[in-house]
This record gives sequence, structure tokens and C-alpha cells, in this order.
Amino acid sequence: MNLLRSEWTKLRSVRSTWIAALSTVAAGVALSVLGASDLLAAAQSGLPDGWDPTAASLKGFLFAQLVIGMLGALAVTAEYGTGMIGTSLTTTPSRSRLLAAKTTVVAAVALATGLATTLLSFTAVQLLLGGAGLPVAGTGDPGVAGALVAATLYLTLVALIGLAVGTLTRSSTGSLAVLVGVLLLVPAIAPALPGALGDAFARYWPTTAGQAAYTVVPVDGALAPGLGSGLLTVAAVAAVAAAHVALRTRDV
Amino acid sequence: MSVLLADPTTSPPGVHARALTKWYGNTVVVDRLSFTVRPGAVTGFLGPNGAGKSTTLRMLLGLTRPTQGAITIGGQHIADLPDPARTVGALLDARAVHPHRSAFDHLLVFAQAAGLGRRRVEQVLDLVGLTDAGRRRAGEFSLGMHQRLGIATALLGDPGVLVLDEPLNGLDPEGIRWMRSLMRNLAAEGRTILFSSHLMSEMELTADDLVVIDRGRLVAESSLAEFVQTHTAQAVMVSAPDLDGLARALGRARIAFESAGHGLRVTGADTTEVGRVAAAEGIALDELGRVRESLEDVFLRLTHDVTDHESRAA
Repeated sequence: MNLLRSEWTKLRSVRSTWIAALSTVAAGVALSVLGASDLLAAAQSGLPDGWDPTAASLKGFLFAQLVIGMLGALAVTAEYGTGMIGTSLTTTPSRSRLLAAKTTVVAAVALATGLATTLLSFTAVQLLLGGAGLPVAGTGDPGVAGALVAATLYLTLVALIGLAVGTLTRSSTGSLAVLVGVLLLVPAIAPALPGALGDAFARYWPTTAGQAAYTVVPVDGALAPGLGSGLLTVAAVAAVAAAHVALRTRDV
Repeated sequence: MSVLLADPTTSPPGVHARALTKWYGNTVVVDRLSFTVRPGAVTGFLGPNGAGKSTTLRMLLGLTRPTQGAITIGGQHIADLPDPARTVGALLDARAVHPHRSAFDHLLVFAQAAGLGRRRVEQVLDLVGLTDAGRRRAGEFSLGMHQRLGIATALLGDPGVLVLDEPLNGLDPEGIRWMRSLMRNLAAEGRTILFSSHLMSEMELTADDLVVIDRGRLVAESSLAEFVQTHTAQAVMVSAPDLDGLARALGRARIAFESAGHGLRVTGADTTEVGRVAAAEGIALDELGRVRESLEDVFLRLTHDVTDHESRAA
């Protein structure tokens, strides 16, 4: 409990945490609205097959995930950057307990941020679509509530992957490079690889799988929502486990 | 100053290094280093830059893993201490604070980790004279204020053992005096104080005991007084209006001397003996006194010797 309190003080007492959290929400909502707005001119009959108003309202996650990933990374890289990690580990020599506390607090902050981003993006876009006379999704519709939970979980897990990457690289710029690769470049480029390899990336790359979990209308070739969230969870747990091993075995 | 130990009946633990060794690749940074630091004294950990002082302190604090050997606090590795934050406090790098975090919040982070609250933060801020600066961002602090904040952090848990890496580095004279008297007071309360420096001059007025290392190896371990006694060469400075007469008299008495400045530097006898020789020969003296090699010179000579020894051995 003492360590959770300490880690919460670390996070809340620097501006960068709040800037990252607000940027996640703002970027998520703004880009979702922007992404939906070019559909507004389309007539109802002009909508593509399998039109999914829920997934369409969360397009801003493409960028928001990077910001929340950096929120997770900065929770640890700021300590390496300033050298404060030395004092942290002198006060708490058990590195496992320190990482557990950090992970818990980052997860809680990311959960709140992810929930706000999801609900605000969804609501804003549904209002926009409704205003244009297009079909909308409501939280009571089948599969919608589950998709919104999966979307919140998605952003939370990405923050934990960011925390793990930050622990492994011990550098803010290094973390940014890795996260851009993992979250943006690989999912954009790898599916174009020839044959089964490209298909595997399109289906099983953890963040792509996690994104499939917040669609209501299944996309061709994507994993089932439960499986998608599960795969991303496994990836996040594996990343945090690797960070744990590195933190325990390396000299500071 | 009131920083009394919570429980003065139990003596704080000492620090003990046993054959402590650290290799980085093919370079040995700390080489079979053994020494003991006792409670109730200020122990200066002295060595030239790159001697392995910081690495040794980082191993003591569990930040760096020894390749071989161990360094313990009261016989235990820091990770095995039941309550590490209240047993040992450290100042490694005073600049290691987040520039956008206030001094108060910086301290609160570590107070909470140790199970302490805001009251203790206010106490240590007061103790180091930073009460008014507590709400300011640490990025605005001068080096002296950083050092005070670092000391406040180290004292949060009211620890019996304090480990300070170059605490006097970069301080102005007033800051040095403050840090010095703080260390002396903390030691007088029975705590174990280990502070490092690469300057002998910083030891002379502060340390009770010395641990001197060079190239990762132990060069000397003793009390400061004993160190002075053992290592500083003593001599007698004498001069007289009739310097040639005095030189002849010393020569007849078979006392070794050399000419130095306006007088003679005698290494083979004490002041009494030189005075007796001069009196017996009826030579008037205008100066007679003891001189000592400066500690700075001794330090340079000792660390230099080890270097020489090593290059011969290589």
C-alpha cells in the first residue's frame, strides 16, 4: 500500500502525466470525429457493406494508443532520465515490488484515461452520425457494450506495453521509437508481406488482434473479439514479465 | 539540531566489505576490497577519480551487483534488510531529481515508500533549511539546494547508516561548513556515516576514520590520527644566523639534514636533540620547529605508489 501511494505521488506530481492523459483523450476524440466526418456526406445507401458505427467511432485510437503508450513508458523512463531510479531502488530494494506497484498505478491511470477516451469518442461520433441521419450504435445494442469494454482494455494494455518498453529501453526516445514500430509501422506494413506471413501479421499481431476486439461487425479474416483481447493481454503480460526479468538482473 | 535516533538504545549497524570485486568486461573496477565502517564515526572514503568509490557505494546500496565478494549493512545485504528505508539513507547524485517535481513532492514520494507521511517531509525540509523552497520545482534549485534536498531525502527514514557520495562537491564554503557539521552531529548521535571524496583536504576536518582506495584496491584503512602518524613524514626545520656553523655541528653529531629555503630540514632527529646540539656548540638559533608533510602530499604519494606498483607488476 505504501508503494502504491508513493508511485501515485510520482505520477500525479509531474505535468507530463496529465499532458499525456489529456492528449490521449483529446487526440482520440478529435481524430475519431475527424475520421467519421467524411462519411457524413454519404447517403445511407452509400455506406460500405458491414458498416460498423461502433468501430467507426474509435478511429482516433490509431494515434491515441501511441500517446497512452508513452504515458506508460514515461512512468519509468523519467526515473532513468533523471537518475531518480537510484533513490527509488535504495528506498525499495525489492525491484519486483517496485515494478508491481508501478504497473498497478499505471494500469489504474490508463484505465481511467482509456475509459474516458472510449466513451467520449463513441458518444461524440454517434451524435455526429445521428445528426447526419446515418445509422448509429447505442450501448444497449448487441455487442456494443462489449466492444467499448474491449476498447478501454485495449488502451490500458497498450499503456502497460509502454511501461514494459520503457523499463527495457530505459530511455524516452528509445521507447518512442519502439512504440511507433510496434503500434504503427508493423501493423501497417507487415500484412503486405507475401503469403502466410502477411496473413499471420494481419491476424495475430497483438495490437491488430486487440483492435478486432472492439468491432461489433466482424471484419473478414480477423480474430474473434475474446480471442483478440486475450492475445493482446498475453502480449502485455509477456512484455511486463520481460521487463521484470531485465529490471531484476541488470545493474542500475 | 534534533535528529535523534528513534531508539538510541540499539546501536546502528556498521558497514562491512569482504573481498568485494566488480569487473566491467575486462576491467576490474573494484578489486578484492575489504574494509569496515563503524557506527558513531564519520568515515571518509577517499580515492582519486575513477578509483571505484561510486561503484563500491552502488554495490553497498544494491544498485550494482558485485562480481565477487559482498558488502553488507550489519551483516545483511540491503535487499535482505527488514526495513531498508529506515536502516540506510543515501545521497548518490544530488541532481537526480525530476526538474518539474516540487521538492516537497519529491520527498513525499520516498516518505510514502517508507511508510511515512507529510509530517516527516516537513521535518526534513526544516532540518536542511528548505522549508520556504519546498513548493518550488527542483529544476530551479542551485547545486547547494540540490545537496540539501539530497540530504533531506537520505534522512527521511531517520536511518542509522548514511551513505553520501561526494557530498561536499561543488558546495560553497558556507555549504561545506554546514554539511561538515551535519555529518559530525549525525555521527555524534551514534550513526554510521560513510562519505566519499576525491580530495584529501575534505577529510582533514570531517573524518574520524579513513578508507583510502586506488584503482579499486585498499591503500589504507585507519583512524585519521593514526593515518597522519603512520604516513606523514616528520621533519625539523631549523635556522640560525650562522647556518654553516649549525650545519657543521649537525654533521659532527651525525644527524641527517638538507638545506631547505633559508634554513635546514633535519630528518634524523627531533627538536630536542637539534636544540641540544646547537646549545652544546653555542650556536644561536632563530627558528626551531616541527614540520609535517601535508596530507595531500601523502595521499598523492600513496595512490601514486600503488599505480607504480601495478605498472611494474603488469
